[in-house]
Amino acid sequence: MMLNGAEDEEKWLAEGIAGIQHNAFYMHQALDSNNLREALKYSALMLSELRTSKLSPHKYYELYMRAFDELRKLEMFFKDESKHGVSVVDLYELVQHAGNILPRLYLLCTVGSVYIKSKEAPAKEVLKDLVEMCRGVQHPIRGLFLRSYLAQISRDKLPDIGSEFEGDAETVMDAVEFVLQNFTEMNKLWVRLQHQGPGTVREKREKERNELRDLVGKNLHVLSQIEGVDLEMYKETVLPRIVEQVVNCKDDLAQYYLMDCIIQVFPDEYHLQTLETLLGACPQLQPTVDIKTVLSRLMDRLSNYAASSPDVLPEFLQVEAFAKLSKAIGKVIEAQIDMPAVGAITLYVSLLTFTLRVHPDRLDYVDQVLGACDKKLSTIPKLGDSRATKQVVALLSAPLEKYNDIVTALRLSNYPRVMDHLDNGTNKVMAMVIIQSIMKNSSCISTPDKVEVLFELLKGLIKDMDGADVDELDEEDFKEEQNSVARLIHMLYNDEPEEMLKIICTVRKHTMAGGPKRLPYTVPSLVFSALRLVRRLQGQEGDIVGEEVPATPKKIFQLLTQIIESLSIVPAPELALRLYLQCAEAANDCDLEHVAYDFFTQAFVLYEEEIADSKSQVTAIHLIIGTLQRMSVFGVENRDTLTHKATGYSARLLKKPDQCRAVYACSHLFWVDDQDGLKDGERVLLCLKRALRIANAAQQMANVARGSSGPVTLFVEILNKYLYFFEKGNPQITSAAIQDLIELIKTEMQSDSATPDTASDAFLASMLRYIQFQKQKGGVMGEKFESIKL
Amino acid sequence: MASRRRMLLKVIILGDSGVGKTSLMNQYVNRKFSNQYKATIGADFLTKEVQFEDRLFTLQIWDTAGQERFQSLGVAFYRGADCCVLVYDVNVMKSFDNLNNWREEFLIQAAPSDPENFPFVVLGNKVDVDGGNSRVVSEKKAKAWCASKGNIPYFETSAKEGFNVDAAFECIAKNALKNEPEEEMGAKPAAMDFPYLSS
Ligand SMILES: Nc1nc2c(ncn2[C@@H]2O[C@H](COP(=O)(O)OP(=O)(O)OP(=O)(O)O)[C@@H](O)[C@H]2O)c(=O)[nH]1
Ligand SMILES: [Mg+2]
Repeated sequence: MMLNGAEDEEKWLAEGIAGIQHNAFYMHQALDSNNLREALKYSALMLSELRTSKLSPHKYYELYMRAFDELRKLEMFFKDESKHGVSVVDLYELVQHAGNILPRLYLLCTVGSVYIKSKEAPAKEVLKDLVEMCRGVQHPIRGLFLRSYLAQISRDKLPDIGSEFEGDAETVMDAVEFVLQNFTEMNKLWVRLQHQGPGTVREKREKERNELRDLVGKNLHVLSQIEGVDLEMYKETVLPRIVEQVVNCKDDLAQYYLMDCIIQVFPDEYHLQTLETLLGACPQLQPTVDIKTVLSRLMDRLSNYAASSPDVLPEFLQVEAFAKLSKAIGKVIEAQIDMPAVGAITLYVSLLTFTLRVHPDRLDYVDQVLGACDKKLSTIPKLGDSRATKQVVALLSAPLEKYNDIVTALRLSNYPRVMDHLDNGTNKVMAMVIIQSIMKNSSCISTPDKVEVLFELLKGLIKDMDGADVDELDEEDFKEEQNSVARLIHMLYNDEPEEMLKIICTVRKHTMAGGPKRLPYTVPSLVFSALRLVRRLQGQEGDIVGEEVPATPKKIFQLLTQIIESLSIVPAPELALRLYLQCAEAANDCDLEHVAYDFFTQAFVLYEEEIADSKSQVTAIHLIIGTLQRMSVFGVENRDTLTHKATGYSARLLKKPDQCRAVYACSHLFWVDDQDGLKDGERVLLCLKRALRIANAAQQMANVARGSSGPVTLFVEILNKYLYFFEKGNPQITSAAIQDLIELIKTEMQSDSATPDTASDAFLASMLRYIQFQKQKGGVMGEKFESIKL
Repeated sequence: MASRRRMLLKVIILGDSGVGKTSLMNQYVNRKFSNQYKATIGADFLTKEVQFEDRLFTLQIWDTAGQERFQSLGVAFYRGADCCVLVYDVNVMKSFDNLNNWREEFLIQAAPSDPENFPFVVLGNKVDVDGGNSRVVSEKKAKAWCASKGNIPYFETSAKEGFNVDAAFECIAKNALKNEPEEEMGAKPAAMDFPYLSS
């Protein structure tokens, strides 16, 4: 016996099938020869194969289907009285003599089907008789299949409204009674199966029961298909009776499955109108029933229904669906103390999805759901379960997706509270989701209050959280996060300067808490956001004093100074220097000489005290020269002081070539094309001559060091400056000087010790071509260039 | 005997949940349609008498659950099918994409003797929805698929409006009739056909 279970089963099934085919063969012969006696005999023998207890439901179903197909042929034979000469009433009596109960009842049902069809007796009487008689089989699997046979053959013979079997004496109520009774009996058989056999085979039982469940559930499908089951009857009879059976059977498997069936099988309108009954059943179910899935499915179904057409929304309001669902969920969570956090939160996610679809305008409902979730989460010490965390993220993401607008979500007072329950890592993930939503929808956050709430939500990104493990920070993630915050700052915007200033102050307050790692990302954004405001104000006024107009450029510049100063804790002198120069330029455009001067002073202090690396110095000095060149606000004195410093720094750079380049760049500080007052040809020449001296020195140093002359690049570059100022009409720059310089370069290039340098060659050639071009062009400029003899 | 057997034609309707299998059957058998969605559980059939070439046949139309969790007992009822109807919703791409799965699953489970020539019929249902504006599967695309699977007959239907339903089922019946039934009852079964009997 204890061979391989599956193999055994195959064997038994094959034997059963063989038995059925064998007897069916003789049954067919009997049918062909119109031999009723033989037909009954062999069909009973055939049906005896269904008495087996050895097959699992799956295999039993295969066997059953074989017999089922054969019975259709028998039924056709029964129907044709001319073939066997026995009235259906007598036939109904006759088959009851079959020896074994199971074959007898199958035959009885088959004749019963013909009996009802013949209308020799009222359908309800026959159905009642059959459903009672079936009690004779109490073996769960056999009984379930027998009753499902009864359900199948009676399917199109119920006295439904509009059916041919409806009459004065029999109504749809009889049909409903019949199906409900069959359902109740089947459910009892199904539940009883659980308690058969020793406890050790419990798992196997459960598997078998799960296979059988659709036989029970199908009755509910049949009920839903009965035309006469209108809302009234459903509400008064059908649903209460089903629920009664579901609650009373006290079996978790049955309860879970049947609740699901009810929800799927009956229409949405009915559910809406009977929410109390349906939801009222939930707390009465066994504690092990997975009510959250049941309720989630109900809410999903109703959500889809709501989405199907705006016409149905009044129904939802009329029955106060949200309030009822919300209450029911609260009760279930309260009753099932052992429900894991993930279960409760999943329920809230479903409820939230429901309300977002059905009542998108009711933000208070959304907040209510979040509030309930917050309350539940507050009773849990720590949200350790990753699935629960995922659900919380889903809960928080849903309003963002629905409204495509963070501003709406910011109005939800419970939103930050729920977010606070997340661990640091997930909190950041959620914060990123929020930022991405803002960027995707280009949502503009336009008031200081909203910015305040937003930064509270994003605090996981804005500052170090308590207990956050700094060592575990992923450098890449951190960079991405901070870049996102930096981008976000530009989405905080108001057209009103005063509001905008408040926003800037709020952002400043929060970002300043970010510490040295974050400031290099956030400060530039904040500075440029403030400068944008300055630019907007710039044409409007100069230097208004008085408190009634607080958003003045001057005030903002003060703020900017403080913001940039904060970088000193990083430290990030190069960045700070750049930002000071940006501010100086903005101050220039606002005509604020002192302010601009102060920014330069700050930049110079940084240059002198903080920037030690020679490469950084070179970059910084060129930035300084470039910015200073564009300044127009300075009076002679201030400008002289600053240019003096800049040229001084240039000449003191570490490497000769760097010195040389910075010095010739300084020449531009004395010659600004569009400003009449700034054309100091002499000092330009001084710079260039100084640059030439340095270039010479550089070359000599190279000679000493390598025994070959250094590159002529520097000379070529200086020549370019000469040409520029020559063309601009600087009288100090003569054609003779240019000729000399060209000669010098050519000689250097041809000398034996010269290092070949194609870039310089090309540069020179290009300049010579330019001179040629200007000559040919003629006119005043042509004449001027004509004086350069090549 | 063969003639008696041929009086009953077994048809199986398959397709994703919600495409309208139950609705099509109800429209065809009872001339009724409901807008409400009521999921089907398990499988069961309705019958309809059809007249064909002066003979009367009984169509046994099996409606099945599209939701997998309501198909717990398996598909033993596929056995002996004469025609398989594959239904999709012309407004839902996924339901069309899944036709292939339904077809293959049927061929595996029902294991007809000549799978190449087993009769299928494809129905693209719900053509009425939104005046056809929300449809995502074109007739051309559906027909191309049908052609690639051995010229499966194709119908566009609306269970709601009864459009093309009768024509579709007439074709279904015709194809079911063409199907050669599996001959397994021709002779008294010998023991050797059932190896386990002797063991
Ligand atoms: N507009 C329109 N709606 C239809 C049509 N056919 C079915 N429906 C609707 O679609 C929904 C689903 O129809 P059913 O017939 O229950 O779908 P099914 O394929 O049997 O679904 P399952 O039983 O879950 O496998 C119902 O709400 C029907 O009213 C149609 O041709 N046009
Ligand atoms: Mg259905």
